[in-house]
Amino acid sequence: MEQANPLRPDGESKGGVLAHLERLENQMSRSRKQSEEPQSVQAQERVLGTKIQKLRHLRDDLKAAVRHRRGSVKACIANVEPNRTVEVNEQEALEEKLENVKAVLQAYHFTGLSGKLTSRGVCVCINTAFEGNLLDSYFVDLVIQKPLRIHHHSVPVFIPLEEIAAKYLQTNIQHFLFSLCEYLNAYSGRKYQADRLQSDFAALLTGPLQRNPLCNLLSFTYKLDPGGQSFPFCARLLYKDLTATLPTDVTVTCQGGEALSTSWEEQRASHETLFCTKPLHQVFASFARREKLDMSLVS
Amino acid sequence: MDETVAEFIKRTILKIPLNELTTILKAWDFLSENQLQTVNFRQRKESVVQHLIHLCEEKRASLNDAALLDIIYTQFHQHQKVWDVFQMSKGPGEDVDLFDMKQFKNSFKKILQRALKNVTVSFRETEENAVWIRIAWGTQYTKPNQYKPTYVVYYSQTPYAFKSSSTLRRNTPLLGQALTIASKHHQIVKMDLRSRYLDSLKAIVFKQYNQTFETHNSTTPLQERSLGLDINMDSRIIHENIVEKERVQRITQETFGDYPQPQLEFAQYKLETKFKSDLNGSILAEREEPLRCLIKFSSPHLLEALKSLAPAGIADAPLSPLLTCIPNKRKNYFKIRDK
Repeated sequence: MEQANPLRPDGESKGGVLAHLERLENQMSRSRKQSEEPQSVQAQERVLGTKIQKLRHLRDDLKAAVRHRRGSVKACIANVEPNRTVEVNEQEALEEKLENVKAVLQAYHFTGLSGKLTSRGVCVCINTAFEGNLLDSYFVDLVIQKPLRIHHHSVPVFIPLEEIAAKYLQTNIQHFLFSLCEYLNAYSGRKYQADRLQSDFAALLTGPLQRNPLCNLLSFTYKLDPGGQSFPFCARLLYKDLTATLPTDVTVTCQGGEALSTSWEEQRASHETLFCTKPLHQVFASFARREKLDMSLVS
Repeated sequence: MDETVAEFIKRTILKIPLNELTTILKAWDFLSENQLQTVNFRQRKESVVQHLIHLCEEKRASLNDAALLDIIYTQFHQHQKVWDVFQMSKGPGEDVDLFDMKQFKNSFKKILQRALKNVTVSFRETEENAVWIRIAWGTQYTKPNQYKPTYVVYYSQTPYAFKSSSTLRRNTPLLGQALTIASKHHQIVKMDLRSRYLDSLKAIVFKQYNQTFETHNSTTPLQERSLGLDINMDSRIIHENIVEKERVQRITQETFGDYPQPQLEFAQYKLETKFKSDLNGSILAEREEPLRCLIKFSSPHLLEALKSLAPAGIADAPLSPLLTCIPNKRKNYFKIRDK
């Protein structure tokens, strides 16, 4: 092993010294590098570490933001849904109200007098009834002008509409309507009685029922016991009061003509009273019941 | 059976078209079902008629039965006659009308028979509270002519009666008198209304031609109606005068309504007015006397024709009130004088 001798001859010593310096330099740079590498690595590590932290931070922020947004959306939805159900309920309530109003308007028919506004006035509807049975309806279309006039109507010709209008239409329309209602209801009632007599008690009639358009003169012959031997009665009912459903004059005669026995006379007189005080079909209903009673007694 | 009655029935049946024959015979209700079944209605008409006459003879048809058949034929062929309208009136403060059909018929017949010994009067009641009266007129010395009867349709408990126009005018006052007295009225006046269509006359006189009323129940509001303009038209087509067209449509609807118009064949205007001219010094303008002139509008359905005038562009809307007042005033004969 050669000892490094600084005092060696120049050539060998220069090579020796310079090479030695070179070797020392290399050593130094090598060691510096080695000491630097962990540093840069460390620095890099540090840098990367901070980057990672930043990214993590960002990730957390974003996650938080997403969560927050989701939460607020949910809250929004939760807020919106109660609104929508309120709307639906309102619509149902309105529909119900509409149905109610329609029903009320229809129910007005039962009051007998109702109306609807038209472009030129009002269309009045008179619904007639007798003994709780709703009968025909009649319309009067009024034009609201000065003077008040009737545009068109469905009142039958034999009802004295022009007379009633001449008396009351211009001065007191309420009176006009109520008077017309009276006439129409009475007419409907008389017509109902005559129709019922013809349809329900044809068996007790011995001939056709004579009637006129106003149903204020009725004439018919009837028997209490349809198959029996008794004489038929002839009845003539006059309704001179057109606003009434009961007759003003009643004549009952017996077709036998000759002097009647007292029992027949009593019956005849009682029938006259009955026709004056009770509606026609009710009188005949009582005849039919009595007949049934008699029949059941006989058998 | 009297020969004249047989001849009368024969001529009446001959008038009836074959497709209506069974219906009318059933309405007549004189020949029984069994008798009618023995007739072969597919034969030649003359043979059918012969058979029917034979059956009528078997049943001894009377003049009344024959007259009834004539009434039924006329009821089925109302349009063959022209009908006038009469209006009766009562005095003031009259009692309530207690119409008794039997009394009316007896009274009517008696009045005519008292005045003219020879007259045939027959009645047939219908369901709409009307009684058809057929009168065949004779004189004191001649038998009634069954081939030129007059028909009257009277609606009881109303002041209105419809009479078939006939050439025998001299009996009209007597007929009017009989009708007035029998129905317990005082006066009778002929209205200026005439048509072949009895139903339309009835609708006009009783003011029943408009039967549409607004109610809360109606599902289609009355305002909804097509304007007559095709709404399905291509949207690239624009009506030039749509505003004007809509105005015309609105005015027409207000005047004539949405209901079917009663059927009349004509409207007649008799003018007695002074000549009006813009030109001065015209010969006609100097006349003191009014000019007389007659204007007649004819149509198979006059009111529908008038209704379509403005929408068709032939006349301006609104139409003259002289034309549009016809159903409202219940007249189609007008006399126009200077006021």
